[in-house]
Formats: sequence, structure tokens, C-alpha cells
Amino acid sequence: MAETCMKELSHYGPSLCVKFYKNYVVSGYGPFIQIYDYHDNGKLIHKSKMFRKNKIHGLSVSSEGKLLVFGSRSVSVVDLDDDLINNDENVDAIRFEKLNSEWIINGEFSANGKFIYLLTSYNKVLICDLIGNVVSEKVLPGERSILYSGSIKVLSNDKVLINAGTVMGGVLIWDLSTESKIHNLLGHEGSIFHVTVSDNGELVASCSDDRSIRIWDIKLGKELCIGWGHTARIWNLKFFSNGTKLVSVSEDSTCRIWDLRSNNNETFELRLSQVHEAHLIKNVWGVDIQEEENLAVTSGNDGRIKLIDIKDYGDPSNEISFSMDDISEKSVIKFNKEEIIKGFHQFKFGLIAITSLGKIIKFDFETEVWQLISVYDKFVSYSSTNAIVKHNIIIFSNNKCDLLLLKFSSDGHDITVKQELHLDELSKTNNCLVEEFNEESLLVCLESPNPRDKFICLQINNETLTIVEKYSFTKPENFVSSCLEVFQHYILVGSRFATIAIFDKRNVDKSAYIIKRLNHGDTTTNIAYVECNEHQSHLFSVTNRDGYYNFISINFPSDCNGSITYKVIHSNKIMKGFLEGAFFNDKGEYITYGFKSSLFYIYNETHCYEIASQVCGGAHRQWKLFPCDSDEEEETQFTLIYIKASRLHLKRINKLSVPETLESGLHGREIRDVTILKEKSYNDEYIFCTGSEDTTLKLGQFNTVTGKVTNHWTERKHVSGLQRCKFISEKLMISSSAREELLLWEINDEFQSGPYITIRQTLPTSSDNPDLRIMDFDTIFLTNGLDFIVSTVYSDSGVKIWYYDHAKNIFKLLIEGRYSTVCILNTSLEIFRNQVWLFIATTDGQLITYNITDYIPFAVSKEEKSRLVAQSVMNEEIIGLPLPIGTMVVHQSGIKTMNIFQDDNNLKIYTGGDDNAIGIIVFKYDQTKGTIEGNITSFEKNAGSSTITSCVVFNHGKNLLSTSVDQIVRIWTVEDDILRLSEQKYTTCADTGAADIVTDKNDSNKLLIGGVGLSIWES
Amino acid sequence: MGKSSKDKRDLYYRKAKEQGYRARSAFKLLQLNDQFHFLDDTNLKRVVDLCAAPGSWSQVLSKKLFNDTTLEQQNERKIVAVDLQPMSPIDHVVTLQADITHPKTLKRILEIFGNEKADFVCSDGAPDVTGLHDLDEYVQQQLIMSALQLTTCILKEGGTFVAKIFRGRDIDMLYSQLGYLFENVVCAKPKSSRGTSLEAFIVCLGYKPPSNWKPRLDVDFSVEEFFSTCNLNKLQISDKLQDWHEEERKIAPFMSCGDLQSFDSDATYRLDDFKGDSILSLDPVQSPTNPPYKKALELKRSGKLTRAI
Repeated sequence: MAETCMKELSHYGPSLCVKFYKNYVVSGYGPFIQIYDYHDNGKLIHKSKMFRKNKIHGLSVSSEGKLLVFGSRSVSVVDLDDDLINNDENVDAIRFEKLNSEWIINGEFSANGKFIYLLTSYNKVLICDLIGNVVSEKVLPGERSILYSGSIKVLSNDKVLINAGTVMGGVLIWDLSTESKIHNLLGHEGSIFHVTVSDNGELVASCSDDRSIRIWDIKLGKELCIGWGHTARIWNLKFFSNGTKLVSVSEDSTCRIWDLRSNNNETFELRLSQVHEAHLIKNVWGVDIQEEENLAVTSGNDGRIKLIDIKDYGDPSNEISFSMDDISEKSVIKFNKEEIIKGFHQFKFGLIAITSLGKIIKFDFETEVWQLISVYDKFVSYSSTNAIVKHNIIIFSNNKCDLLLLKFSSDGHDITVKQELHLDELSKTNNCLVEEFNEESLLVCLESPNPRDKFICLQINNETLTIVEKYSFTKPENFVSSCLEVFQHYILVGSRFATIAIFDKRNVDKSAYIIKRLNHGDTTTNIAYVECNEHQSHLFSVTNRDGYYNFISINFPSDCNGSITYKVIHSNKIMKGFLEGAFFNDKGEYITYGFKSSLFYIYNETHCYEIASQVCGGAHRQWKLFPCDSDEEEETQFTLIYIKASRLHLKRINKLSVPETLESGLHGREIRDVTILKEKSYNDEYIFCTGSEDTTLKLGQFNTVTGKVTNHWTERKHVSGLQRCKFISEKLMISSSAREELLLWEINDEFQSGPYITIRQTLPTSSDNPDLRIMDFDTIFLTNGLDFIVSTVYSDSGVKIWYYDHAKNIFKLLIEGRYSTVCILNTSLEIFRNQVWLFIATTDGQLITYNITDYIPFAVSKEEKSRLVAQSVMNEEIIGLPLPIGTMVVHQSGIKTMNIFQDDNNLKIYTGGDDNAIGIIVFKYDQTKGTIEGNITSFEKNAGSSTITSCVVFNHGKNLLSTSVDQIVRIWTVEDDILRLSEQKYTTCADTGAADIVTDKNDSNKLLIGGVGLSIWES
Repeated sequence: MGKSSKDKRDLYYRKAKEQGYRARSAFKLLQLNDQFHFLDDTNLKRVVDLCAAPGSWSQVLSKKLFNDTTLEQQNERKIVAVDLQPMSPIDHVVTLQADITHPKTLKRILEIFGNEKADFVCSDGAPDVTGLHDLDEYVQQQLIMSALQLTTCILKEGGTFVAKIFRGRDIDMLYSQLGYLFENVVCAKPKSSRGTSLEAFIVCLGYKPPSNWKPRLDVDFSVEEFFSTCNLNKLQISDKLQDWHEEERKIAPFMSCGDLQSFDSDATYRLDDFKGDSILSLDPVQSPTNPPYKKALELKRSGKLTRAI
């Protein structure tokens, strides 16, 4: 076998351990050590592969700066500074790898740094020097059962505690030097998953399958207290703050901070003080704390390394609140007993609020003094408050068509302009929306509850607060305004029923252009302009309170007689909760905010992590979020102002002084399929999509030189059992899953803010409560490049052929049938010798061939031999699946993957099986019989030591790539229809399940390998 | 998933309920036997089921060894089922709640067998999975090696050992090690085991221990140390951490078990596929177990485990 020339460019996958060291975060990332300077924008300053195959499960740093890494049976000791950080990128750290005969569950340096202790999974400790000579072995007699967890606590050169977590609920604490048991701490149920000892050696913390954390007194061997809170298994614990605090990370994707409190050292309590939703879907494995900077770092199965501020959370100095009495006390304002705050807005200088009795009050941020500005009887009981912060203008409105506009001096000390207005056109007003109009003016929109009343928009001069122009538009049907955006001559008003009305101020008589029912939600909460592309399409982000967001590309006519056209180019739904708005931050990441029950959240939707959350009582409260200027060196990122229990709260949400993530990560669970958009590149990179066991599809792009992945979107439409995703053209992708879901997606790559993706159509299901899985699909396009036929195969042995009509955007069922009762795993549609062939492959290893040429209303095109043209008139009848023309048993059990390649004479099918085998079946056309016959020309029994999960033909049929659960990626050469292994390389992606290849413009092959994580290779 | 929906999705679950098996895994042993016929041997006398709870394999063993057999055969036949968890009684099966790594357990089994060796040992045990694939695979292999260490003390030469495996990264290392102790090692996948699962079974035929090796269970020995006296290639202890080296690996032949009429465990069946069988939904045979996180579930149900503090 030739030397391997497959080269790894990048890898994203589970990180099992992290540690702060000096200015760095040192992480075990698969088999790599990755070191980040978290003060320098999280820059990756070093990456070294430490182990050939094993993942790094843990690490320790000695006082002399030596690094001990261990994982599985591998162990290595290097000098952190000399061997790694100060060395160039190509250090051969792998040469230090040593092997033990048993799994190493923990490792530590001795107090003097001259030895290492290695605790094995059979409760044995090896004491070794730094080059791997075993100095001695220590065990606890009679206690040699397997452990899931354990730790070593070095208290001094002589005093070392071994803390072994057994599988039967006991925590064994033993003394290393005397090899004697100190305690067997009993109380937990199930396997112990972590145990740790405080730095002073007095306390033990442990966690188990019972999901509790227990604190024990090491002297007395007594349980002091229990902490409940995690909703799944807890994987790691660490004491900090002199043993008064504990951090835990869990399978429930959270990192939690606990306070250990004692009442005169008699009773103890472990109180949950912080919960951070740090990782995606599932396991958080690693955690460390930097006490001086109040930072936690966590690492998880999603490949994310997350920094968390543990000071800010619930920090009282970031929040001030006032009751009406507090305000009274801090001023000379007298409030009535029932008087409450009805509205507020924040300016740079302070906060302006209005009460239920029409009192306008001001809170000055500099002097922290409340002051009564004025009282307006017109605004008693009902008022709404809006503002243009940039121009220090506040606008109050009531339900009787009155408006009050005030303009403040920039220090807020004086009211420079005041304007009161009354609208005679409306009988009543129940909504007022305000937005900047242009440099000189703002826009106020007023709506009455009467559907026959006009929708009034006032253009108001920013300096004089006088009306420049009044526009009266006819209200569309079922219109209830909820948000406003102004763009050029257009006024875009969001409404209930997920609708947007676009009014043209140049032509008030023209009825509004309506974009109806954007999604299944109700109230449109935010419309925001994003960008314009080269085709003069304008992109808007639209959010809906029920959790949906869309991006709409709108083309405005060049003159006012033309018509607006639009296209929804992106659709998605947030994970849970209500969505109040969204925007792109300065890094181009999409930030959403809203409520999850009583919690207000701000979320990075691009990378899927929470930026902040605040318990504030829920969406029905009075609340407003104020972003702070990003150009200023301000610590505060947002201010959230809300009223809860009659108190006005001002909560500052601070910017993290360090990056939120050092790696943003990908999926929380296994990648089931991966597909590259091969037809064209996007900004010199390739767009790709991964589908995961976590049911989401992720759209991203990767760099062909560095392999760096940029995340864009996480689509959450599938609800369970994702099976496949595949680009079928340069614009379309299909994904399929359980519950009989097959979604046709459309990609838009015309904008610079990123590629967008939306569902174009959904395949009809066979019943209202579908329980079938769509295992696979394949397509053949018509010559127009838009319409196609698609075969779908099902878990109940069903086979269907559909026609997709692009213009009508419908799927029409053409053929329906059932093969037998076995589950069908793969399907392929092929044009070969001017006929249309359907192949299916089953769980019992059969490959079945159908000739469907005469059963579809299409014929093979004479011009484009791989495409179809419409032939006969399409009738409504659904045709039964014809009998197969051939059935052959290729594998002993399931055909997991199938790939087809055609050369001039033959059609070749490559199959990979659950039986570890890869087969080549060559189909030849028999002129006399007018049909095809297949022969197995090559059958490699031991193509892997476990299930073959994917086969991809490349290099014009000369090579085949296979992945297998044995984590070996193999490249085969195909000569004379015989397979020959040409190279193989280990992948750190466990449960290796998917691969795709693209040949870039330099004729270099880029391999995407998915499993638990994603690797990008070059060949 | 509703009760009847699971019946449709999982025919073996349904069949297990119909035939009174405690778990669907009973069919895995039945299908393995259809292929290898190790339970059809008329000379089969002493059988051990390790990690036996809830007991569906013991139920199969009981049926195979005691139904339609002569009284003479029955008098000679003994089945012992061992598990750390308690198990409800099964006809003709002696159940032991014991640790398979402990010498006392070995002694008790030998007592029941009248100090004769076993003809057949099986284990359908699997540990809790953590989600760390390498650790999960290691623990599973250690469980097999623990079962194997007891097996080497109790199995007669030429006897059979069957155990559940997960075909992950290092499965070929296990095949290689088993190759040193058995004439023939096959990786068998019954049709009742889902194709989407990595589960399979090693069927080890013809036990042939090294002639000079005396296996001895000792509470102070780890599994690794137990086998260190019997050169299984990788299993050696030294006074130095070894340099990295590739382990010996070998691919065991793969064999699919269960005939063409067997149900497909990955398929969704339609109600008319049952051809006159009753389509009534049956209650599960085995009542739910008592998980260690029972209290956490109760707290969660009562709203005490939440995100808000």
C-alpha cells in the first residue's frame, strides 16, 4: 500500500478537557492539544497532535510548566512552553506518546513535579518518572473493580489521596502511600461519574447517575449536603474560591455554579447560584475556573470551547431598581397611591418615564437623581412611549389621538422643543409606531381600531418637531400594526397574522403591497433592513413573536407605477420561546432576543449560544432592550429595562471582556449526512450542509486551504430521525427523516451577509400521523434544470416516484408500490442506454432493479442524455410499481451505502454493507433482451472491521472513498472493476457515518468526513 | 411513541410480549442458535448465563434445554444465571445475585455443577453508555473480558462462549485476543438486532486454552492482570510505559443470522402484514426498572429542577 497522502486540514469535534494556564486556555481537542490566547481575541496560538489515535481525556500542568496529557491508554509528558507554545507549528509532539496496558482515568504530577501518578480504571496507581519508567505500583487490596471515574489529589509529597468512583455507588477514598482505605462514602445510587477533593483536602464532592452532587467531610467520612438541579448526568466537578464554591457540568448541556454554605460548620447547604446554557443538545465534558478574572471555560461534545463570565451573572451592581416610593424618596415628586409607571425610554443622559397620572419624570444617569419634568393630564391612564434616541426626542401618545413630542438637550437638562399634536382624522388611536425617516425627519404611524379609518403616517422634522407631511393610507384587511421599518420611499409595517404591508409615500392612493402569512406565527415583531445585492434586491430580516424568522428579498420598482416583487429566501424557527427581534452584530452574526417563559434572553443564532438571560417576569410585562453604541469602548452591551412587581428595573448586560467562544463548534450529536454544494464556490469557499442525530441541518462554508468552517444557519424543521441531506442542483437541496418528512430546500448565495436557505416545498405524507422513515431519495432533472423526478424509499418497504413541477411548486405522485416488508435503505435513479432505471437496496442485503421508462410520462432527452423531457400528457392516475427486472443478494445484511458511476459502456454500483464488505456490481446492457444485467465483479469481504457507512466515487471513477465505523477512511483504486486498497488513514470522528468529496479549481480533492464531529481532509 | 405504534415499528418487541419473553433480546439468542445450533446439541448439559437480568436469555435456555427433552437429559441439565441485579425466578434456572469477577461466584457455580465444567457460557450484558465512544467501547470490552475470565475458569475445552459486542473502533483487537483462546471466532448479527445499532455478537467456538495456563480468579487482580499470565499478545505488564505501537488486529468473519422469514427489525410494518395475527396491543411483560435517577425524575416532575434560580 502506498504512503498515505490524505492530509487533515481541520477538525471540529468533542473536546473533553480544558484548563487555564497563564494567559491561555489549554484544551484537549480530540487527539490534539489546542492552546488559545483568550486575551488576544481567542487566537489559537498552538495546535499539536499528541496521540496517534486516542482522544485526550484529561490534562494536568505542573508548577514547573510540564504538561501531562492522558486519554484511553495513552499518556504523554511535554514541556508546555518549550515543546509547545514557543515552538513552531510542526512540533512532533506525537513522539512522546506512551501506552499503558489499562485505561488511564486520571493523572497528576507529584508535589515536587518529578513524578506522575496515573490512576487506571482498575483502581491501580502507577508512579512514573517523567520519561515513563514505572517507579512503583499502588493498589487498594480487594478493591479492583472497574471504575468510571476517579481523581488524584496531591496534598504534599507524602500525602496523596486517591478518589475512586465505583460503578456501584460507592466513592472510595484511599491513601496512596499506605495503600489503605480512608472511607467508602455511601449514599449515591448508580455509577459515580466524578469525584474531586478540595485544595485543603477537607471536602469531597461527588456526582453519580442519580444526578445529585454530594459534599462529604473527609475527616468524618460523612455526607454534609446534597445538591439537586441538573436534569441529566453530571460529568465534571471542581471546587474553587477556597472550597466555598463548586462548578459542575452535565449532559443537560449546562454549566452550573453552586455555593457551599455552612451554619457554624454544623449544617451545610449546597445552593445553586448560576445556570449557564453553555453547549448544544447534550454533553459538557470539561470545565475549569480562572478565579482572578471570574471566568469559567467549558468544553463539550459539540466541539465548542466556551468562556463564561461567572461574576456578572446576578451581580447586583449591574442592576438598579426603583419602586414608586424609591423614586419619591430620591426626589420631591409625590405619587398617588395607585400611580404606576406606564412607559419609559432610555437616552444617553438618562431615562424618561411617564406615569399613569401623566407625570413625566427623568432619571439622570450621571447624578442618579429623579426629577419631575411635567404633568400632562391628557396622558392619564393610557399612554405609549416611543423615541428617537439619536436626536433626543421622546414621543408620547394616548388613545384619544393626542401626541406629545419633546426634544431634550444632549445633556438632558433642558427641553429644547415641545410640540403637542392632535389628529382629527381618527376617532381613537390604539397604536403608535416611531422610526427614523431620514437625516432630517422621523416618522410616526398611528392606527385606530376602526378598520375603515386610515393608517396615518406623520413625517416630523427632527429639529422643529413640526409635521413636514402627513400620509393617509387605506388600511389593508385584517391589519393590526405591530412594528415599523422605513426604507427609501417605503414604509414597511409589520402586522398580526405574520403579515407585512408596504406603503409607498409617493403614492398614498395606491393600496399597500401585502406580504401575507410569512409563517405559522401571529404578530410580526421586527423588520430590519440588511443589505442590497448587485441585482438591486433588498434584504430584510423579519421576526415573529411565535419564534419564526424570515429573510425577504424585495425588489422595489424603478418608478412608482411598477410593482414590488419579493421572495422569502430564508425561513427558520428559534429553538424555543418567543422572538421579539433580531439583528446582525458587527461580526456578521445573527443575534435574536425574546422570552422563554419568565426569562428574557439574547442569543447568538449563528453559533447557537446564549449571550445573556434575565429573569424578568415574561413578555406581557413592560420591557425594552437598548443596545449600546458599538463604536464606543463601553463595557455595557445592552440595557434591559423592565417592570416587575411594580418596580422599575434597569439591568446592564455587559460585554464579555474575552471572546464568548474559542471554538464555536458544530452539532451536539452525531453527523448523519454531509453534502457539499459542488457546482460553484461562494467567496472562494464551498457551501456545505450537515444533518445530525440532533435533528438539525447546519449550513456553513469551508475554506479549501485551511479547512476552516464558518457557520451560518441551524435549520430546525425536522423533528426526528434525520436520515439524509443532499444538494441536487446548485440551488436545491433535499433532506429526509422519520415521520415521513422530505423537505426541498432552496439556497440563495446572492448576498454578502451569507448564504440563505428556505424550504421551497414539503413532500406530502401518506397519513396525518406519519410513522414511516424516508430512508433515501434520488433525482433526475428535466432539461429545464428546474423540474425533476424523485424516488423515495421507506422503512415499510414502500417505493414512490414523484414529479416536481418547479413553476407550480408541487410534488405529484407518479408511481407507488411496495417491494416486500423489509426496510429499504438506499435508492438511485439512473438514465442508462436511453432508459430510466430505479435501484433500491435493502436491510437484508439485496439490490433490486426496476425499469421505469414506460411508467413515467417522460422520455430521455436526445440532446442531454442525462436528463428527461416531458413526453405524454400527465394524467392524474397513480401507477403501481412495476415488477423488478432483477434482484440480487449482494451483502449478508443491510446495504448501508450505494454510489453509482457510469462510463461509456457500463453502469457500476458500489455498495457498502453492515457486513464489513464493499461490492462492485457492473450492469451491462443486453441488446437482444433490451435490458440490463448485473454482475458482482468485486466483493471485498473485509473492507473494514466494522460497518461500511459511506462510499463516494471520485477521480472520474478511478477511486472510491469509504468510511467505516472502525474509524478508518480508505481510498480504493478501481481497475478493471476490481477494488484495490490504495491508502487508509485513521479519523478521530467516532461513529464515522458520512462523507462527501469536492474537487476544487486546483484539482485537489477535499474530503468532508462526518461522525461525532467533522474533519476536512485533502487528497 | 404509543404502545401500538411501537408494536408496528418493532415486531420483535411485539413478539416478545406475545411469547412471554422478558425482553426482545430473546430472539437474538434464538436466531444465533438457528445459525450455530449450539443449544440443539443433545450432549449439552451445563450452561451459564452471565449478566442475565432481566432474564430473557435464561428463558430461552430454559425452553431449549427442558422443553421436548427426555427426562434423562433433563436430570443432567443445569442452567445458572448470574447478575448483580435481582431477577425473578425462571423454571429450571438457578439464579445467583453475584459479581461475576468474584472467586466466590465461581465456587458457587461449580458447586451447582457438581464440580463439572460448563459446556456453554453466554453474556448479553452491556454497561450504561456515556456518549464517549472510546470509553463506552472500552468498558464494553472489559465487561466481555470479565465474563471471559470467569468463562476460562469454568468452560470445558471445546466449549462455546457467546457475548454481546459493539462493533466500534477497536473491535478487531478483541477478535484478535479471542482468537488466542478459541478455535473459531465469528461476528454474528441476528436479524432481530437493529441494523442501525452497532450491536452484534461474538460466537467463540472450540475453547482451547494454552496448555500450561492455569486461570485463577483473584479479587486483587484486574482483568488485565488476570490475562497477563496467558499471552494474549497485547496483555503484558512491564516496568516501563511502552512506546506506542499498533496492536494486533484481526477481522472476524461476519455472519448474518435468522432466516429469510425473520422479521426485519429496521422495518415499519403495516397492520395487514400480520396476516390474521391478533393486532391487539399487549402490555409489556417486564415492568419498568428502578433507575438510580428516580428521585431526580420525581423532582423534575414536581418542577423542582428548573433553569431559574
